[in-house]
Amino acid sequence: MTPDHRSPANGHRSPAARRRRQGYLFCLPGLVLLALFLAYPLFYNLWTSVHEVQLSTLLGGPQRFNGLANYRAVVSDPGFWHSVRLSVVFTLGSLLFQFTLGFALALLFARPFPLNGLLRSLLLIAWLLPPVVSGTLFRWLLDAESGAYNALLRAVGLDTLTHDWLTDPGTALAGVMFANIWVGVPFNMLLLLVGLHTIDPELYEAAAIDGAGAWQRFRRITLPLMRPVSVTVLLLGLIYTFKVFDTIFVMTGGGPVDATRVLSLYVYEVFFAFFRFGRGSAAGVLLLVVPLLAGALYVHRLRKETVEGGPA
Amino acid sequence: MSYTVDRRGFLRAAGAGGAALGLGGTLASCGSDEPDTVTLTWWDYFTLDNFQPGMERLIKDIEENVPNVNIQRRTFPFAELDRQITLAAIAGELPDIAIVDNVAMNSLGGGKLLADLTGRVKEWGQADEYYKGPWEGCQVDGKTLGIPNNSNCLALYCNTRMLADAGVEPPTTWAELASAAEKLTSGNRFGLALSAIRTEEGVFQFLPFLWQAGGDLDTFATYGATALEFLDGLIAKKSLSEQCVGWTQQDVNIRFMDKRAAMQINGPWQIPTLKKADFDWTVVALPRDKETATCLGGENWVLTADGKHLDKAWEVLEYTQTPQALVPYLVAFGNLPARKDLADQGTWASDPALRLFLNQLAFARPRQYGPHYADASQAVAEAEQAVLTGSASPSAAARTAAAKIDKALAEQ
Repeated sequence: MTPDHRSPANGHRSPAARRRRQGYLFCLPGLVLLALFLAYPLFYNLWTSVHEVQLSTLLGGPQRFNGLANYRAVVSDPGFWHSVRLSVVFTLGSLLFQFTLGFALALLFARPFPLNGLLRSLLLIAWLLPPVVSGTLFRWLLDAESGAYNALLRAVGLDTLTHDWLTDPGTALAGVMFANIWVGVPFNMLLLLVGLHTIDPELYEAAAIDGAGAWQRFRRITLPLMRPVSVTVLLLGLIYTFKVFDTIFVMTGGGPVDATRVLSLYVYEVFFAFFRFGRGSAAGVLLLVVPLLAGALYVHRLRKETVEGGPA
Repeated sequence: MSYTVDRRGFLRAAGAGGAALGLGGTLASCGSDEPDTVTLTWWDYFTLDNFQPGMERLIKDIEENVPNVNIQRRTFPFAELDRQITLAAIAGELPDIAIVDNVAMNSLGGGKLLADLTGRVKEWGQADEYYKGPWEGCQVDGKTLGIPNNSNCLALYCNTRMLADAGVEPPTTWAELASAAEKLTSGNRFGLALSAIRTEEGVFQFLPFLWQAGGDLDTFATYGATALEFLDGLIAKKSLSEQCVGWTQQDVNIRFMDKRAAMQINGPWQIPTLKKADFDWTVVALPRDKETATCLGGENWVLTADGKHLDKAWEVLEYTQTPQALVPYLVAFGNLPARKDLADQGTWASDPALRLFLNQLAFARPRQYGPHYADASQAVAEAEQAVLTGSASPSAAARTAAAKIDKALAEQ
């Protein structure tokens, strides 16, 4: 209980204005940090995106305002649109699999069975690993010559299914998606599991008494009641997945050719391979659009839930 | 928190915060020096353990022999250095001295980041001592922006026993290379290994083929197609693994060491590792087509433009070029000198493999194509990957790349 907290019974009524001032004071350190490390870089990025900033203009050169020229350069680059397509496929594919697999695992772990807790924590390790580590791991696993997956396939006589996963432009995106799904499943499982625990077990009992089968209980009770959690999980997943960089950078570096050069890698290349800071910033701003929209939607939902007191 | 800061001032402040957190360290150099001693910051990317004794010795040597100088060294991973230098330029915290990849002269050289050494070099009068390629690699727009640190180039390593068993001589032309690679391929073993990874490393290995075909970046549509077709032929006959699109030069050497490749294209920096191999190998010049060509690699010493101690830094550079400092340093690194007057000193004077590389330096071409070379380089890498993975024909890939290359080279 905060010292500030008052109930009608204790009688102390500080003026509302003072409370508000105190509230702001408590927020100040956070706000300063946000301004310094979030707002400033964000606005600097916006500033750069409408100026001509290259390596040659970094030291003393004129950084001319060039309006939307950087944006025009980005959207007229076929490579940019290729990256957008890859990002969309990568994000939707990852979301679909990590959500359904996460949901299935959540349903499994929602019921008690021996070793439930241990298995659940083991699964979480995948999510706790730094992306660079899991990326490196999957690069080894999927390696054509010495990789474990191909070795496994050969060991069980399925030689025809062995494949150069990461060096074939046709399957490289699926390869990096596979790694990303593996990382994302435990996160989805965890949140969905929490959601499952909020459903009143009496609902299931009542339904069972009324003669509803397992499938009907799932469809009529679990699914509708899990809707708010699911939307939140998917939104968070979208925000996270759309800007994935490290896993892909470690596994393929954007190749072969440009098969895995998603939007985040595109931005990185424009910046740090080509040193076109203005254009890179413009692409960075465009990269922000999707997570920002998803984020706004998420905040909107969160507020609605708090106001309406709906199930979290 | 209401005073205004300019952009650089802000970043400098942020940098100081970073330093306080142990993320940086550049600011620590200010203030505590004795009045006459100048502290110079020095950045390089020689992070591997086996480079440390040589580098530490060189720095100690400099501090003992150049009056009143103290060197503070910082290392970065190879791929990070250029990025860190550009970030440092934004923050106004450039190091005084840096050792950069010679290909970085394209981007950094056009960026006004590097100090113009033209006048000092003229006064110094030792320009003629350097091999042509390495020296030209330091010239940008008629200005001298660096001094070659060391040089390397590519050649063809052959597993002597495998070649003898297959009755093959070390190849000297493309035709011989193709037939040798085919004969040397069997079971788990590829005839030839090279790096075609989608980075500058892959391009470094590809450019010799382009040049050997008689072309260059500005004629990529024609000669790029020739070179790509040749490599595509090797893949088609399984003489070269399709996996090479993911191999670094280190990976290539591992295949050669493991006897999973009978020949490899690689540089002299692999010699110390190869000396530990349990088989005999030889190294020969890269096979030729219309022309003999190999690509120049290595590093340059550069001084940065806004350094406050330019005179002192130049004094250090001059000292590093004396044989007493340079020869032990190069030997410790397994590197080749960029200076002709050192040709008969050091290990490279007696070691036949190093000798071969040193002789090849005469043909080695620098990758000097202007500030937007990185775009061209990526176009080349993607063309090669497209052909080797079978997703484009050599002529189509070369045409696509040529359009991007022409655009990149035209932009200044």
